[in-house]
Amino acid sequence: MKELMYWNAISEAIAEEMARDDKVFVIGENVQESPFLATKGLVQKFGSDRVMDAPLSELAIAGATVGAAMAGYRPVCDLTFADFIYCAADEVLMKAAQQYFIHNGEVGVPCVFMGVAGGGFGNGPEHSRIPAAMVMHNPGLKLVLPSNPYDAKGLMKAAIRDNNPVCFFFHKKCMPMKQEIPDEEYIIPLGKAEIKRAGTDVTVVATSYMVNLALEAAKQLEGKVSSEIIDPRTLVPLDIDTIIESVKKTNRVVIIDEDTECCGVAAEIAQQIIERAFDYLDAPVSRLCAANSPIAGAAMEKYVIPQLPQVIKAIETAAGL
Amino acid sequence: MKKLSKQDLLHLYRSLIRTRKFDQLNIRLAAEGKLLTFYHSAHGHEAVGTGAAAVVRDDDYLFIHHRGHGLPYSIVRGIDPKSCVAEHMGKSTGWGGGITGFHAVDKEMGILSSAGTIGSGFVLSAGYGLAAKKNGRGQIAICFSGDGGVQRGQFHEAINLCAAWKLPVVFVVENNGMAWFTPNRDTTAVENVADLAKAYKVPAEIVDGMDILAVYRATEKAVELARNGGGPSLIECKTFRYRSHSEGRPDVSHFEPRSKEEIAAWMERDPIKLFEEKLVKDKVLTATLIETIAREADEEAVAAEKFSFDSPFPDPARLPHMVYAP
Ligand SMILES: Cc1ncc(C[n+]2csc(CCOP(=O)(O)OP(=O)(O)O)c2C)c(N)n1
Repeated sequence: MKELMYWNAISEAIAEEMARDDKVFVIGENVQESPFLATKGLVQKFGSDRVMDAPLSELAIAGATVGAAMAGYRPVCDLTFADFIYCAADEVLMKAAQQYFIHNGEVGVPCVFMGVAGGGFGNGPEHSRIPAAMVMHNPGLKLVLPSNPYDAKGLMKAAIRDNNPVCFFFHKKCMPMKQEIPDEEYIIPLGKAEIKRAGTDVTVVATSYMVNLALEAAKQLEGKVSSEIIDPRTLVPLDIDTIIESVKKTNRVVIIDEDTECCGVAAEIAQQIIERAFDYLDAPVSRLCAANSPIAGAAMEKYVIPQLPQVIKAIETAAGL
Repeated sequence: MKKLSKQDLLHLYRSLIRTRKFDQLNIRLAAEGKLLTFYHSAHGHEAVGTGAAAVVRDDDYLFIHHRGHGLPYSIVRGIDPKSCVAEHMGKSTGWGGGITGFHAVDKEMGILSSAGTIGSGFVLSAGYGLAAKKNGRGQIAICFSGDGGVQRGQFHEAINLCAAWKLPVVFVVENNGMAWFTPNRDTTAVENVADLAKAYKVPAEIVDGMDILAVYRATEKAVELARNGGGPSLIECKTFRYRSHSEGRPDVSHFEPRSKEEIAAWMERDPIKLFEEKLVKDKVLTATLIETIAREADEEAVAAEKFSFDSPFPDPARLPHMVYAP
């Protein structure tokens, strides 16, 4: 066992996969020094032919990722900020997502689009998004949102080995997290949720950094509410079975997600719960998401993105208190 | 060509000094954790924004580059820099009302946007130019960018559109040879951005970005052409950033420290030092005046810090009303 920081866990996963498969390479702006550290140290091990500092050209980077993937490589494309997926939208949403379909299921696009996501830095509307729902809305893309170092490592390895394009959004606020990581290799399959805390009163489905807020909230509510915290870990594929099982037990559920509320992640999960477990519900499915607003900067960010007090309140309300 | 009076020259000099002092203030506040967002210093770049923005009219449009988060482009035009500091402290007296994080905006002075995702500046500026042309009042737009920014597709799409439609847009490229940690020599085979403009039949000039008067004169020419229906031009200003890409980040090229000798050599040609020497030689500046201007700028910065610190945060109840126009 060793302790790894969140970003270190990600770079270690990429390093292991690069060592294992010479078709894996990293492409993106500034990936050699790596502003968010998730690809730091790789160039020293694998050289600049496999850890490529690219031009400031998101379309070229994402497009080259798709092209190389279709031609047999497994690129890991670092978009820097996850927000910049909007700058590469055609190549990610239209091309990466749909080439397998267009090729009649004969040519896959095995690649990863990674980016640092979410609030916490106060940088305002163009650097604070977690564009999860948009990715979910484009069939063909998988979506991973690791909430801690252990998951980040195991999920990144699975993402690289997957035969599909996988968006991997790691969260700014998870950066300071440290965790024990086994020395042996492990992989966390995409599409397997984890119950991060067992409980009986209310099911809390939380994503990305919100998992950590939900766990803290559950701790503070101990004795008052017994919360079952589920981290889907990947939203595509979504392990709805684990969520449904929990809802059947607790009969109450709140979904906590940092993406914008309207047409969001929570709306999709809620609908699936309603379709499959309506008769088990003692209360309406509830949700707590970012407000339907651009992400405000500086001190105003906290009024757009859910914070601990709102998470506590949302769980209490869902529990019927 | 406008004859620059002693007053004009002193205005340029004072603007450079104030820009640097406020940049230094932001750098210190960032280090002290008092800025609630990131900061990209303008150290070394001051002459470009100041020299070029000095040329434009109040009713022209500007898209600013991120160096100094608006300072070089706004101070010279009479915008109070305390609103930059206040914005970064998240205060309601900031130029974006304290809700933008770092974005510089000033509707009155035509600063309609600033870079978040790099590249939009080019295409939005084409739109400002389109509006200016339709208005028929001789307005123009200046789009500031870095050399990294021109690697985005929008640069090529915008300059092509502006050229085809003869839009009054001046592209001012601040070429410091770097884009974040990456030296552009490794990401483009074209050494001079000016060559790209030529491909689109847009006149382009390379100027010494450390020489404020060279920047001023080149911009003057381009602006005049644009105002008179001659269409777009590009000015490539060779410059240098002294500090790391943004505060608190390592200062590397790829993954190795940037050359100290290179930084020192550029600092020898510091834009403020060069201009000061020239103005002293031309008897526009005296030692006392230099000292007075520096002291006044220091006092202004101290006052701006206090002003920003004392200003209230925005009322969060406003936020939902900022999403849709009525
Ligand atoms: C679309 C987009 N991609 C990447 C970034 C991250 N980024 C911010 S500044 C920068 C480098 C810009 O280089 P350049 O245009 O040369 O300006 P400089 O910072 O050197 O003055 C990068 C890559 C961004 N803000 N937007």
